[in-house]
Amino acid sequence: MAFKITEACQGCQACVRICPTQAISGENKEVHSINPQRCIECGACGRVCPFQAILTPEGHLAEHMKRTEWLSPVFDHKTCVSCGLCIISCPVNCLDLDDHNGRIPPESYPFLKRPNDCIGCGNCENVCPVSAIKMVEPSRVK
Amino acid sequence: MSGFMGKILWVDLTTQTIEEEKFSEEIYKDYLSGMGLAAYLLYQRIPEHADPLGPENIIGFVSGLLTGTPSLFTGRWMAVGKSPLTKTWGDANCGGYLSLSIKRCGYDGIFLTGISPKPVYLYIGPKGAELRDASDLWGKDTRQTESILRERHNGKRIPGVACIGQAGENCSLIAGISHDHGRMAARSGLGAVMGSKKLKALVLAGVKPVHAVDVEKMRVLNHKPAKLTRFRLPVPDWAMSWLGKILRNPYISLRMDGILYLSILRKWGTVGLNQTSVEWGDAPVKNWSGTYSDFTEKDSKFISPGIIYKWEEQKYHCLACPLGCGGELRATGEIPENHKPEYETTLAFSGLVLNNNWESVMLINGMLNCAGMDSISAGGTVATAIEWYEQGLITKEDTGGLDLSWGNTKSIIELVRRMITREGIGDILADGSKQAAKNLHIRDTEAVVTAGGSEMAMHDPRMDAGFGLHASVDPTPGRHTTGAFMYYDMYRLWTRVKGLPKPTLLYSKKKTFVPTAEMGRKSVAMSEYMNLYNALGVCMFGTHLGADRLPLFEWANAVTGWDLTPEDYMQIGRRILTLRQMFNVKQGIKPSEIRVSSRALGLPPLNSGPNKGNHIDLDGMRSFYWSAVGWNIETGIPTPETIKALGLDGIINGEGA
Repeated sequence: MAFKITEACQGCQACVRICPTQAISGENKEVHSINPQRCIECGACGRVCPFQAILTPEGHLAEHMKRTEWLSPVFDHKTCVSCGLCIISCPVNCLDLDDHNGRIPPESYPFLKRPNDCIGCGNCENVCPVSAIKMVEPSRVK
Repeated sequence: MSGFMGKILWVDLTTQTIEEEKFSEEIYKDYLSGMGLAAYLLYQRIPEHADPLGPENIIGFVSGLLTGTPSLFTGRWMAVGKSPLTKTWGDANCGGYLSLSIKRCGYDGIFLTGISPKPVYLYIGPKGAELRDASDLWGKDTRQTESILRERHNGKRIPGVACIGQAGENCSLIAGISHDHGRMAARSGLGAVMGSKKLKALVLAGVKPVHAVDVEKMRVLNHKPAKLTRFRLPVPDWAMSWLGKILRNPYISLRMDGILYLSILRKWGTVGLNQTSVEWGDAPVKNWSGTYSDFTEKDSKFISPGIIYKWEEQKYHCLACPLGCGGELRATGEIPENHKPEYETTLAFSGLVLNNNWESVMLINGMLNCAGMDSISAGGTVATAIEWYEQGLITKEDTGGLDLSWGNTKSIIELVRRMITREGIGDILADGSKQAAKNLHIRDTEAVVTAGGSEMAMHDPRMDAGFGLHASVDPTPGRHTTGAFMYYDMYRLWTRVKGLPKPTLLYSKKKTFVPTAEMGRKSVAMSEYMNLYNALGVCMFGTHLGADRLPLFEWANAVTGWDLTPEDYMQIGRRILTLRQMFNVKQGIKPSEIRVSSRALGLPPLNSGPNKGNHIDLDGMRSFYWSAVGWNIETGIPTPETIKALGLDGIINGEGA
């Protein structure tokens, strides 16, 4: 299963630039296409497309959203077990471990290191084995 | 397709060709992934009597079925191939995060054969796989290599890197493979296989997701192990040597519970047990000839958990691990920034060689990690060389002027350096103690403590006879991770698998040295479970929580959507175990000839210390084990009936599965 691009595409290349797996190709001002072998269904193309030209794997039109409205991860350190699955699973490498901040023992926890790189895919939330990550609206991220 | 990716990557380094191979779900249902899939492939693809350092050998990097799904302790990967050290099935298990990197490239395993005409590394990115020139990396150590490759391929994702250092390039038979700046897939000498193929590294930068059928069920299943792992032992570090003194009671054993064990690991890591093991009689001292009276509490206090803890800059968790037994050391003086030494490394370069200098252990650990050399085999080989020197079997002339007396810290460090660079006597010792005895024409091999040619780890069969049995009967000889009677206690398999005996809370220690049919059944169950969790990609420490607390069987069903029983999964474990044994048979190995050195079996027994008088009837124990697993009780070769019952007859007869 993969996302698809419809004829509504204007070839603006916004999706090409945001795609973390370089799955989208197409010339400027021409209809683009998605390589289903590379698509990881992160949905970033749908959120960034200003022409509503992206279909989800279920066949629905993906909703365009302003970047400031994209969801971001928040981490519950009381639940988190520092297993690192979220960090390694992030397709854009925007998470990292903090520098334990003097905790005893020197345990480190994940945090959103590069918020501008986050594409709001929710991969970290989906893969977390202990439900310690919630995707929330940016206004709720402390 | 859930849990597994459904395909592997083949790379022929001779012809520089790369191709994918897909498998049906039925293959995964029979062999799972990880070591199971590797056994399925290596048995069929490595020809008889293959030269381990020749082009026909295959080096494989495999992930686990559960890796990348919302499960815990499931981040282990394995390197596999024919071992140049033991000439048997070879495997090396490692943590870090490479296991997920393999799957994120879209593969369950990456297998390489042939020999490249020049140094290369395999890069897999979003556009596919390619071999790239590694001439500029050849000669660099593992930390340098990984740093350069990470920098070079620093894109939108963190690449997983596995590489060899000088030891692998020099085809040292005790070379390993490094990942994440010093996590080592150290054993079986598989670093030498990479070196022989002129394969410097793997750089894995894929981004494919891993799917699971029932994610919510998995999260519910995670509650118990996550909660139990949080328990932190409220005991000070000085009490750990006293724990060993209590445990060394010669008459009674207490049924072990993994919750206590994991709480020690969570607090201090594997080094938490350093002093306990010395006092208990688990850790060998003075090349397996001494006791705690040779390496006293005064000596071992330098490796107490509290001392080591002070050097720890940050805790280190492998992927999906809630425990975090690893740690990162800060760089100090000569000692490079590195992963902290594990229990095995610490005891191999302290008690085993009577060295009581902690800084030197950290330094040697850093040197070996950078060079990509197995610290267990290196420590065992150094201890053997020291004993030879003390006995006059080798002289200062042989050692190039080194005074190899017990506990001579400077000489030990220098000897390790020479082993890494293959200088002088180091060139001979770089291939392990058994090969060194041969090259030095030393006929009295009593000081060579190996199983099947592989140096034994720091766990004494004279304390737990199960270590001796499994070091001999497992197709990968000489391992401490394949089974021990204390593991049976901690696995708690009787809670999930029908027909397995439950040990009493207290039992006679002496009786564990007497071969019985029940002992055989318990040992085979351990082997099946070990093969199972290595196919699932699960960490052994996690399994010590117990089968009723770490839901391996339920996780596997939730990930794949299958409906297999614990007994079905144990059967898969037996299938993998038997196929690995058949790999050895195909390679001309006689299982009955894989023996453990007499000294480690207590022949003759120690006359003092906690293991005084203990000796292991290996032949008797093996007969019961082989009978229970359905292998010939005299030769250890799987019987035709067993092969057929496990559905292996097609593969064994060369007809495929």
